[in-house]
Amino acid sequence: MRICGALVTALVIMSLTACGGGGGGSSASTSAPTPTPTPTPTPTPTPTPTPTPSAPIVPPVLALERLSGGAATTQATNQTAFGQSPNVVQSNFAADANFKSGNLIFRGSHDGEGPLLNARTCQGCHTRDGRGAIPTDQNTPMDAMSIRLSLGLASDGGLIPDPNYGLLLQTFGLDSFTGNLSAGLASFDGGAMSAIGEGFGFIEYQTVNGTYGDGTAFDLRQPTYKIKDLSYGDFAQGIQYSARVAPQLIGLGLLDAVADSTILERSDPNDSDSNGISGRAAIIFDPTTNASRVGRIGAKASVASLLQQTVSAYRADMGVTSSFAQEEDCTQLQTSCIQAALSEPDPNPDNVDLSNIELALVEFYVRLLAVPARRGFDQVSETFSENIVAGRALFFESGCESCHRQTMQTADAVGSVLGQVELNSLSPNAPRINVLSEQTIFPYTDLLLHDMGGSCQAVTPEFADGQACSAANDCIWVQRCEGLADGRPEGGADGAEWRTAPLWGLGLVTTVNERATFLHDGRARSIEEAILWHGGEAAASQQRFLRLSSQARSELLAFLESL
Amino acid sequence: MKQLINTIAVIFVAALLAGCEGDDGDNGTAGAAGAAGATGPTGAVGAQGPVGQTQQVTRTDVVVTNANIAFAAYGDSLTSARSLRTTLQTFVTTPTAASFALAKQAWLDSREPYGQTEVYRFRVGPIDALLPDGTIGEEGDGPEGVINAWPLGEALIDYVALGGIDGDAGPEVPASVAGINGNIIADTTSFPTITAAVITANAELGGDERNVSGGYHAIEFLLWGQDLNADLSSSAPRDATPGQRPVTDYALDGTCTSGTNPAATSICQRRGAYLLAAADLLITDLGRVVDAWNPNGTDNHYSAFIAGGDTSLAVILEGMGRLGFGELAGERMNISLLTNSQEDEHSCFSDNTHRDIFLNAKGIENAFRGEYTRTSGEVLSGAGIDDLLNTEALTDVSTNMRAAIEATMTSVGVIDQEAKTGTPFDNLIQVGPNEPNVKAAISALSNQTTVIETVIAGLNVTVGDIRQDTEENI
Repeated sequence: MRICGALVTALVIMSLTACGGGGGGSSASTSAPTPTPTPTPTPTPTPTPTPTPSAPIVPPVLALERLSGGAATTQATNQTAFGQSPNVVQSNFAADANFKSGNLIFRGSHDGEGPLLNARTCQGCHTRDGRGAIPTDQNTPMDAMSIRLSLGLASDGGLIPDPNYGLLLQTFGLDSFTGNLSAGLASFDGGAMSAIGEGFGFIEYQTVNGTYGDGTAFDLRQPTYKIKDLSYGDFAQGIQYSARVAPQLIGLGLLDAVADSTILERSDPNDSDSNGISGRAAIIFDPTTNASRVGRIGAKASVASLLQQTVSAYRADMGVTSSFAQEEDCTQLQTSCIQAALSEPDPNPDNVDLSNIELALVEFYVRLLAVPARRGFDQVSETFSENIVAGRALFFESGCESCHRQTMQTADAVGSVLGQVELNSLSPNAPRINVLSEQTIFPYTDLLLHDMGGSCQAVTPEFADGQACSAANDCIWVQRCEGLADGRPEGGADGAEWRTAPLWGLGLVTTVNERATFLHDGRARSIEEAILWHGGEAAASQQRFLRLSSQARSELLAFLESL
Repeated sequence: MKQLINTIAVIFVAALLAGCEGDDGDNGTAGAAGAAGATGPTGAVGAQGPVGQTQQVTRTDVVVTNANIAFAAYGDSLTSARSLRTTLQTFVTTPTAASFALAKQAWLDSREPYGQTEVYRFRVGPIDALLPDGTIGEEGDGPEGVINAWPLGEALIDYVALGGIDGDAGPEVPASVAGINGNIIADTTSFPTITAAVITANAELGGDERNVSGGYHAIEFLLWGQDLNADLSSSAPRDATPGQRPVTDYALDGTCTSGTNPAATSICQRRGAYLLAAADLLITDLGRVVDAWNPNGTDNHYSAFIAGGDTSLAVILEGMGRLGFGELAGERMNISLLTNSQEDEHSCFSDNTHRDIFLNAKGIENAFRGEYTRTSGEVLSGAGIDDLLNTEALTDVSTNMRAAIEATMTSVGVIDQEAKTGTPFDNLIQVGPNEPNVKAAISALSNQTTVIETVIAGLNVTVGDIRQDTEENI
């Protein structure tokens, strides 16, 4: 479920630090990653005039912290660590059956998928329920990441789709899954003939150099996103991109069960406490419940519930319609897509591709994906190892916790609006899910939106040599940014704002998928690089990280690896 | 009585297996014990047991019997995999209609013991958790995936027809990403020779668990081919035939084909090489599981398991419950029914799914009764959960469980019988008059699982202590 491709989330690991606590002192040697390709330098730091830096308090270490997901925690630490259910599900045979069935649907393809798509299956992007990988090179299509499109926000706050391409670039047509090397891929103006991929997105990285306070050098890679081979005509004027790699799915049922009021506890849109951090909540309408609540899912928190996310990922990334999203993702101008959709086998009522039972099983599966327990905890002495404890203190002291909120309580995890699944039937009034309800969890996110710095230039059509390319040619459409910004507002977030990424499970990301990388678009090759990318509200914390000794940095990383 | 026989059975099984495998010197020694097996007739002693002692079994007796059956059933699986390998070698060397038929039969035979081992899944046992060094790790570390994973990534292995009833038979990963032109057998550039290493390297290609490249079902696919209709059409309704792979797909005399298309002899040779390499891997992987269950092993899973007391008893029951409901009723039957999809059918190429279903259910019954009928026909019998319930004055529970299992075996027997008389499982799941047969089996398994919960409650055992975590109701 969830996304295959882009949709959602992505981020995840993104922001590590965010947050700078008070002291915005001038920094040591390097400034934040302020890449080169374009001017438009963002005034990154923006620290407030140093409001009495009351040193952040480091709370005592609790043994309870080892159970990151409360009762919905798993002890698994291997390649399957992100695909486990809580023990209580395993020992409840009916729940176990639903989880396993949901898993099979998550892994499987579907009648009626496509015509345009980014993956055939959920796990096609969410590798072993974990993060997807970026393409190995510029000639390999994006198969676990995708590029979102829009023309800005309408007056009601909704995204304005590109008339030709909608809200998401689909890389493949169904023919891409026939074993033929190039079939189904986009080709310039080729979409009139058959339903092929919409365009070919690729990444060009530029190296950004920096230095720690102790003189240790590092380098980051700043992506430039390019799309070529547009199959269905030019992009509209003002097209905006946001590249996202498929995120890990652990703990989403818990985050789904957090009450709005809990999230709003840390909301501070005007920075009234003058600490440089102004978390904002976005209120999002959820068509699956017909109600609005605080958005909390996705890199920009633009989605209110896990089911809403599931439905949109199925539709946009896989071309699989369901009762909440009955129209195929073809724009009116994509006649070959519309034609192909008409000939799909549609086995379910309303001519949708996925039945409500299947949807409910997948929703159940993803909701119950457990969070791995902390490593580095000794069961006998009931203590974490020393370097982890030291790194934890640095995490608080550096102000990371101002956004990567350590702990919160879940509220009632209400039963699915689809009903209670009983293998082959759905009955109304699904009961609440206790294992997700009233849990003390340690997600390391406030689920709020923060300005992370950076900015983007307008997307421009170019030739390969960089010369301007005029419409109706086979142009490459280029988006250049600096810092973390994508320049594309979505939901309640502007072009530089991101939802604080949960950090639980962080240390197992590359165990689950060895090719996985970090941040919303996978640009960070390590957790360390992810920290270094932090800007905006997080700039002060990032600066503190730069000034840490090599040993202190490794302690902080040991803590993050233990999550 | 059962108790007595049980002790004997340990020796007996060890002897039998060692005899069967005969793969190394160690077993040869055990072979001597085989003689003790001959003593087996001591069963006569068992006959004396009834004097008052009949039902008196301990929890550890049940655990030991369960472990002995594991060794016997995995041992039978290994033995039959070796026979399969021999038969495949003959077929690949001399691809005739007759040797082809024998190869298919050998595959079907190999599934009979293996299907009954699946009750040893979902309990952090060797099949799910065995590490390369022979120790038990976590669920997911074991060889289950490479032995028996499905649905297969058939399009990754060999040619397939696209569209129609097997509409989702295509590759999971776009060729443009995988870098494989067509499939492994066809892509002579990327894979100049087909070896076990090639199969292993492409398992879960791109991190996609659906890219299953080896195991039982890879061999099945290479023998039967995709399950199209008899006229090779791939449009509904499905007919009752299994896959129609022609024997010429292995021809070495210049008449090599890939289905209806002519192909170079080298393609047939590569297909044969794939078949044998997959069988070799299967033997290696099964052998590791057998070793873990060897009663003569020291410091292996067997020794730890029989010393596990109530925890071991709990995982036996958990395996029974999770296999019966989640795996069998859920994944293997209900999803196929919901989606009416052959791709979601367990042994879809050979249309042998009815046996998978029957044998999985049979494995649960075996665990309950403490009995297993070996490939050789030998009956291995020891302390069952039924005996234990009676010993512990839980006769009502025992009776309910017996009734539930009988109901299950009856309903899966119907599926088995339907298939044997011309209506295979892929026809049963099609909307129509046969659907209720599948639904009946699902509901019998569901009911049986509810009764297993009462057994767990009655015996007051919990798996909680094998995985630390907070306990609460879902």
